Amino acid sequence: MERPVDESSGDAELLGAVAAGRADALRLLHQRHAPWLRARLRRRCADADVVDIAVQDTFVAIWKDAHRYEATGADAAAWIWTIAARRLVSALRGPAHRWLGGVAEPLPDVATAPSAEELVLLGIEHGDLGAAIDRLSPELRVLIQATAIDGLTVRESAKLLGIAEGTAKTRLLRARARLRELLT
Amino acid sequence: MSGWHVDEGLLADYDRGTLPPSRVLAVDTHLLACASCREQVRVDPVWLTGNWSVVFDALHEPRSGPLHRFLRRLGLPEHRIRLIAATPALRWSWLGATATVLALAVAAAYLGRGGMQVSNAVLLVVAPVLPVLAVATAYGPPADPMHEITDTTPAAGPALVLWRATTVVTVAVVMGVVAAVLLPGPGWYAVAWLLPALLLSVGTLALSTVIALPAAAGVLGGIWLAGVGTAVTIHRDSSLPLVFGRTAQLGYLFAAMTAVVVLTVRRRRLDPGETR
Repeated sequence: MERPVDESSGDAELLGAVAAGRADALRLLHQRHAPWLRARLRRRCADADVVDIAVQDTFVAIWKDAHRYEATGADAAAWIWTIAARRLVSALRGPAHRWLGGVAEPLPDVATAPSAEELVLLGIEHGDLGAAIDRLSPELRVLIQATAIDGLTVRESAKLLGIAEGTAKTRLLRARARLRELLT
Repeated sequence: MSGWHVDEGLLADYDRGTLPPSRVLAVDTHLLACASCREQVRVDPVWLTGNWSVVFDALHEPRSGPLHRFLRRLGLPEHRIRLIAATPALRWSWLGATATVLALAVAAAYLGRGGMQVSNAVLLVVAPVLPVLAVATAYGPPADPMHEITDTTPAAGPALVLWRATTVVTVAVVMGVVAAVLLPGPGWYAVAWLLPALLLSVGTLALSTVIALPAAAGVLGGIWLAGVGTAVTIHRDSSLPLVFGRTAQLGYLFAAMTAVVVLTVRRRRLDPGETR
């Protein structure tokens, strides 16, 4: 009744096998997704060790929560990325020497359907938006990146960037206003 | 998608962090949407294997039991929790012995209607000795088959003995309080034995800076049982309030504090359960 999984299996199929408690499926997912997760997380955190921990925690979290993927029915890569971004935030927040997978808080149920901002940004390589993004000051841009691209909440973005939540809210408002200004 | 894909050069620039911000965002969003571009991202196979092995170990880590979670809730550091919770084989012998003695004492108190005072006295006299017995027998050469290995670790020494003693005393005291509360009789019986128990436990540890731990426990426990036991047996009605009365309790407290001072001063000579 258990279907074998191999490299050609789809992500959703693999996640289903992981939910059934199969470590080989998780291994395949790790091989497929760990490289780009590492590359993306490294653009967000300069500490390679923290990134490695975040990647590891991500797959441990997938192991525990794969059964929840079925319920959301979202794109597997986007679902994994949502976990990874949040794991990075907790890895940055946690004490330096903790036990892996020690106190993992349950994942919040988040919709991983692409937001309107994401759909616009998929076309970012063409047109004015790219230029506008480039002209945005760095501290405003990282907030757009954390909220619109990484799908974090404002609170999580503030933790990731090491700023107060109020500051993050103000900057996000300013960033949106500035973008609107640059685009008109 | 728009027919646009991430090529190798762009990916290399992305990895190095030399791309302009808008291109970084473009690569980010595109990677999320395009499986074939995700596969373009290359990593060192050594890194991949190493990363996976950590994940694999985490999957196969033994699940932490309820005791483990409870201790973590109390805010104890992880390595102390391991130390306290790591010896399940040793736990049951003294847990069982303590529970049996206390249960017998309480049962006797309810069954022996005429001799109620006798049974109360038995519990009050025996209860202070139980933590001492627990300290003396839970660890160390006779009980712990691992003691030689334990002694060679950097963790060995006074700190280890004290942590283990605290653990067993806590459990023994909790069990004693439960038994004492179940006991028929005046309410103060429930707590009257706590200070003598403290004195005997700390005293045993203090004495173990001079002689071996089991011997110290035997000496102090023997003195208590012989002295108080005899007094209570002979003058039942008059001696019980005296031995557990207000003046005596103050005396126990001061003696216990003295023992703490002795223990602090001579802590380097604490017997770790192994002859040197």
